[in-house]
Formats: sequence, C-alpha cells, structure tokens
Amino acid sequence: MSRLQLKGVGKSYGATKALRHADLDIEAGEVHVLMGSNGSGKSTLSKIVAGSVRPDTGEILLDGKPVSITGPQAARRLGIAIFYQELSLAAHRTVAENICLADLPSRGVFVDRTALEARAAKYIALFDGVTGDDFSPDAVVQDLRADQRQLVEIMKTLAGEASVLIFDEATSALDRAQVERFFEILRDLKRQGRSIIFISHRMDEIFAIGDRATVIRDGEIVGSRQIAGTTPAEIISMMVGAQEETATVADAAPARPAGPPVLSVRGLTGPGFSDIGFDVRAGEILGFGGLHGQGQSAVLRALFGANSPTAGSVELGGKPLHPKNPRATIRQGVAYVSGDRSRDGVVSGRPILENVMPIHYLRERMMLANPSALAAKALPALQALKTKFAGLGHPISSLSGGNQQKVVIARWLIDRPAVLLLDDPTKGIDLSAKADLFSLIRKLAGEGMGIVLYASEDAELLDNADRILVFNGGAIRRELTGAARTRFNLYQAAYEAA
Amino acid sequence: MSAVTALLRQPLVVALILIAGLLWLGETLSPGFASGQQILRLLIVAALLGIVAAGQNLVILGGREGIDLSVGGVVSLSAIIAGNLMAGDNAGIPLAILACVVAGAFFGLLNGIGVTLLRIPPLVMTLGMLGVLQGLLVVVRQGIPSGRAAPALADFVSRTFLFGLPGILWLWVVIGLVMAFLLNRTVFGHRIYAIGSNEQAAFMAGVPVKAIRIALFVLSGVFAAITGICLLGYSGSSFANVGEQYMLASIIAVVFGGTPLSGGKGGYTGTMAGAFLLVILQSILTTVNIDESGRQMVFGATLLVLMLFYGRGRSMRA
Repeated sequence: MSRLQLKGVGKSYGATKALRHADLDIEAGEVHVLMGSNGSGKSTLSKIVAGSVRPDTGEILLDGKPVSITGPQAARRLGIAIFYQELSLAAHRTVAENICLADLPSRGVFVDRTALEARAAKYIALFDGVTGDDFSPDAVVQDLRADQRQLVEIMKTLAGEASVLIFDEATSALDRAQVERFFEILRDLKRQGRSIIFISHRMDEIFAIGDRATVIRDGEIVGSRQIAGTTPAEIISMMVGAQEETATVADAAPARPAGPPVLSVRGLTGPGFSDIGFDVRAGEILGFGGLHGQGQSAVLRALFGANSPTAGSVELGGKPLHPKNPRATIRQGVAYVSGDRSRDGVVSGRPILENVMPIHYLRERMMLANPSALAAKALPALQALKTKFAGLGHPISSLSGGNQQKVVIARWLIDRPAVLLLDDPTKGIDLSAKADLFSLIRKLAGEGMGIVLYASEDAELLDNADRILVFNGGAIRRELTGAARTRFNLYQAAYEAA
Repeated sequence: MSAVTALLRQPLVVALILIAGLLWLGETLSPGFASGQQILRLLIVAALLGIVAAGQNLVILGGREGIDLSVGGVVSLSAIIAGNLMAGDNAGIPLAILACVVAGAFFGLLNGIGVTLLRIPPLVMTLGMLGVLQGLLVVVRQGIPSGRAAPALADFVSRTFLFGLPGILWLWVVIGLVMAFLLNRTVFGHRIYAIGSNEQAAFMAGVPVKAIRIALFVLSGVFAAITGICLLGYSGSSFANVGEQYMLASIIAVVFGGTPLSGGKGGYTGTMAGAFLLVILQSILTTVNIDESGRQMVFGATLLVLMLFYGRGRSMRA
C-alpha cells in the first residue's frame, strides 16, 4: 500500500492553473524525485503536501486513509516534514534551538535546555565531520555560512522524525562531502521505511539517490519512471514534451549581423556567481538561460551596480566600467529592467510622468522639472511601447501591471543606453504587453543596442535570443548558438551536474 | 454627494473647515477672538511654527521613518545665538542670521550623516541630538537669560510691513511658494517623493538617496534656525528652552496638513494650514484657561487621533 497518495489534486491562482488534477503515489521506503522546469508546479505540489497551500480540488490519502492537511501544524502532526527552499530559520537563535524549533522540549513554561541540547546533538552528530569550522550547537545561525545554514535546515527537517519528508532543493549550497553524507542519511531513512520526496536540479544527484522520478510539466503530471530503467535524456524529453522535442528556434529570431562588442565581461565574481565571462555585440540579443536562481539575476544586478562584484573586469564600448552603483553605470549608458517592478521599478503613488523621467534627470544633470517640456520627452517613449494611460499626471498605480512595466521601461528610451539588461522583465504581465515588449526589444537590437535578456520562461528566450548562455550553480555551463538553440539542449544544459 | 465626500478626503479642505470652525468657536467663547487684529496675531505665531514645520515636512516626506525631533533644540540654540550676537543692535543682524543658519545646517548635517551613513534610526538620532543641544544650552547660558533682539528684527515680526502684514508673514508666504516650487517643479522635489515612496526603486533609477536624505536634514536645521531668529524678534529676548514646544507641534502641523509619517506623499500647503489650525487650537485652550501641561496633553492626544485617520497607510500594509 502507498504511504502517500494524491488523487486529482488541483490548485489555481486566479487564471493560472499551478497544478491540474495531479495523481501521485509515494511508497514507503522510497526516494521519489519530482522533476520539472521553472514554474511547472513542483513547489506547489510539495507545499500542498506540507499544508502551507490548500488545494482547490482532489484528496490526499495517508496510509490509505483520507486526511485533511489544514496547515503546517496539521501536516507535522500527521508526520509530514518539509525542507523549505527559502530557509525558514530564526537568524538570531542558536543552531540547537533552530533544530528543535518546531517542538521545543519544555519543563512547565520553561524551555528544557538539557533536553534541547541532547536532542539537537543527535542530529548534529549525523553530519559529524562535514559541518565545517565554527559549527557548534551554540553558534548563532546568522553567523554561519550558507552551506552550514542549509545543514541546520536539513537537521531541523530530520528532527521532526516524520514518516514523509520533503526536500525541496536541499543540496543547492552543499559541497560534495556534505551531499554524500546527506545521501547516506537518506538511505538510512529509506531502510527505516520512511518516504522521501526529493526535488533537485542536479541530474547526477537524482540518479544517485532516486528510486522513482515523476515529471511535471505546466502543472500536469507527465509520467513516472523507475530511475534504474531510465536515462537523463528520457527525463529531459519528458520535461520538454513530445511536440517540442524537435522544435528549433522560431523564424522570429533570424541571425542578425553581429556588430563590435559593446559589453565585455571577464572573470566577474560576486555573491551567487563566479568567473563569468561573455561579450555582447551591438545589435545582439544575448539570452541568459537555465533554472531559476543560478546566478543570472545576480550577474545582471552586479553589472548594473545594484550589488557589488568582488572580482573581474567589465568594459563598455571599450572603456572600463566600474559598477559601483546604478548612478555610475546609468551615466555610462547601462540600462537595467527588473522583473520585480514593485520593488525595483515603480514609485507607486507618484504620477506616470515622474516615473518616466528619473533617468533623463540623471543623464542630463537636470535641476528643473518643467511639466510641458518633460511631457514632450515622455510621450514618444511611452508610445513606442503602446502604453495605455489616461494622462501623465495620473498615478502609476492606476495602471495595469503590464502598463506599469511599460512605464518603467520607457524611462530608458529617452536617452538611448548602449546596453540594456533585462532581468526577467515580463514576470506577471499580460500576453499583449509581452508581445509589445519583445517587438520593441528586437527593434532596439536592430538599431544597434546590445541587449542581455534573462527570462525564466524558456519560450521567450528561444524566440528572441540570438545566443543563449546556460547558467548552473552560478557559472556559465554552455553556450547555445544557431540551430543548437532548442528546448531540449536548454534543459539538458540546465540540469547537467554543476 | 460623492464629490463632497471626495472633497472631505482632502486633508487641506478638512484643515480649512476646521480653521473656520475653531475661529467661530473662539469667537463664541470669547468675543473678539476672531477680530482682524487677533487673527493677524495668530498668523504671526503660526508663521513661527510653519517655518520650522517646513523642515519637518521635508524630512518626513523623505520616508524611511524620517522625523526630526531635534528641531526644538535648534530653535532654542538659534534664538540664543541671535540674541547674543545682535544684543539689541541692528548692526549685528547679518552676522546673527549667518551664524544661526550655519549652526542649524551643521546640526542638521550631523543628523543626516547619523541617519544615512551610520544607519541610526531617525527617531533615535534626532532625539539624541535634542539631548545634546539641551545640554549645550545649559552649559552656554548657565541658566541666565541673555541676549536681546535688535529693534529691526522685532519690527520685522510684529510691525506692518506691506499691505497691512508684517514681514514675517511675507517671509512665510515666500517660503510657501519656494516649497511648492521645490516639491513640484524641481528634480530635487521629485527625488524627495521618489525616495519617500520607494527608496529601492529610486536607488535603481540613479537617485542619490543618501545625499538627498542628508540635504533634507540640513534644510530642517536651517528652517529651525530661521524660526529661532524670528522667535527672538517675537519675544524680545531669549529665555529658557524657548523652542521646546516646536518638536511636537511641528510634527502635528505636518500630519494635520496631510503628509503621513510614512512619507512619500503630501506637501507644504497643507502643513501651512495645519500650523495655523494648531495655533488657533492653542489659543482657544489658553482662552478657556487650560495651562501649558494641559495644552501639551491636548496636543499629544491630537497627534494620536490624527494618526488614526491619516498616518497608518504604509505601516499597516507591511
């Protein structure tokens, strides 16, 4: 009998179906791998099992009995534990306290420190020898390195002594020895008859630890395979989908004559990426591909000066560029559009006009803001993107998401930058706005601008980029050019061993 | 009907209605309260508050919990510097003004540096600065009242200068126009709103966030210094903690005028109305024989009630 069964489980966010009618069986004593590209529904599925998301439809059976997982607390009582991709540690508390956080041993109203330390010691001992320097039960989590924090999160998940354990990208920061030890522990849990749901983007890990793999695509379960009887190529084919297996680049992106390099990056290293090197030529759209969070955004932000690189050199149009802060890079002709427009782009509550002008103010070193003169600059930029708005004086928050993003992009069109960095610019905007945006981007490239496009939607990359650099683990793993720009190659490179 | 409710949502309109209402109330309580001469006197007192509130307004607009609690200390310091430098002589006025403005700018600069470069929360930084200033005043004056206003300064504050209004009211009008121009028609003004509304987005658009925030604190110090000089002209000589009342009052005037403490929206026109409103309220409380401590209680309660209506927007969402 299956340990955990999902029958017809579905979840929608508005019009987006994150998960449709998912059927899944997890056996006792197996490591069950979930595979799928960005936004395919893996995380939604694991959150439903862990109780942090309530499904709209379907039922969940635990040991054959229907259960209602009403929240994280309920999941814990049912014996389900989850490792969260976004770590859920209390930064100012000690390692020992964090490990026992979900169920602090107590004596009356007081925390029983002796019991707490004894329990934590048991889980810390599992990783004896691979935890690295300065790791102790009394260490404060905030002072630990990223890999050590991830180990604490793993220990915390193990401390739940659950019968179903979900590890959502639990190995991303770990080194080889730590991963080996973690896998030994997982094998031990398997022998005890516990069930493990394992999500990872490293194909080698999946084949090292998994018993079965289930592939999810666009919120639908494509199928399951025994790991022993499959190959990485088959798994990738399942993720890509049969109809697109042979699809090459659309005609929409014909090879453009490549101009001289406008942006040259060499050995760029910083938080989240290392030794990045590439050239962007005038008139070229260079794509950044790969799974979410493999350093693409971090590199673009570093080039813009939003976070400081620690090493490497950058040249813009043959002149050295020191990305100290956005102010400095904007003056030299760098433009950056963030996908997180409410954080990085929109000054909400202020008029559309003021949201279009800041780059012009800076590049022209302006002091006075004469509305009619500014409107003459702003209108053509907004019209180039087919922005729909009632008046320049209306607050930007009165616009739809797509139009807000157009306003944010329009601010770069008044004074032409030499290079345009697009950091997943279409996140959460409607299809027609996307189409307007990409037609503009292709037009700008045609006029000789160098463009770097990171898109979490692979179709956007395949349709628009002349070249694609695939990121994995903070480094560029592969370059796809010409006819090699296929979805299959993109996935294969993205899932290769880091 | 909906046009009326929309109008009532405008803090400036509300403030003007309240001003009319309070003047009527004052007239009822004590006939002659709303006479022309009396209103002129109230406006002069309101100008003193309104000028220091201009600086407070700028700091609050800049967001990130921006607030300047040290303004009262700067007003006192400025009144004392001015009183001692001019010592009742018109010839000392230019030097006195220069010294006061420099002192105000200096303490504003310290506030700005503490808040931006040292990352001390504005509440803590400016409260600490207020403590420093109060201590400094005790050391400098050793409790003895000193300094006298120059006759020209006293005339500037209370004698008719043009069209029946004294110079200080003209100064207030000019400051009001300059503030409106600064906030609406200059790049600096747009950048103030931008950092107050979304600092991260402003940074990503190349706005020099720290420099602007420092400038706001410097301006607040300068405006407080100007109020200090005028206050000397109003009262003739500087006495103990003459500016103390301006800390709470300037914040209330700003919030009354429709600038929420979370920053990023509002303007100075409302603050001017707020300052006048507050002075009328204060005068009514005096008329019905409520003493200083009672008035402080009413002011504090007023601020809390205002926060219920206007102040919470941002913090509730976060």
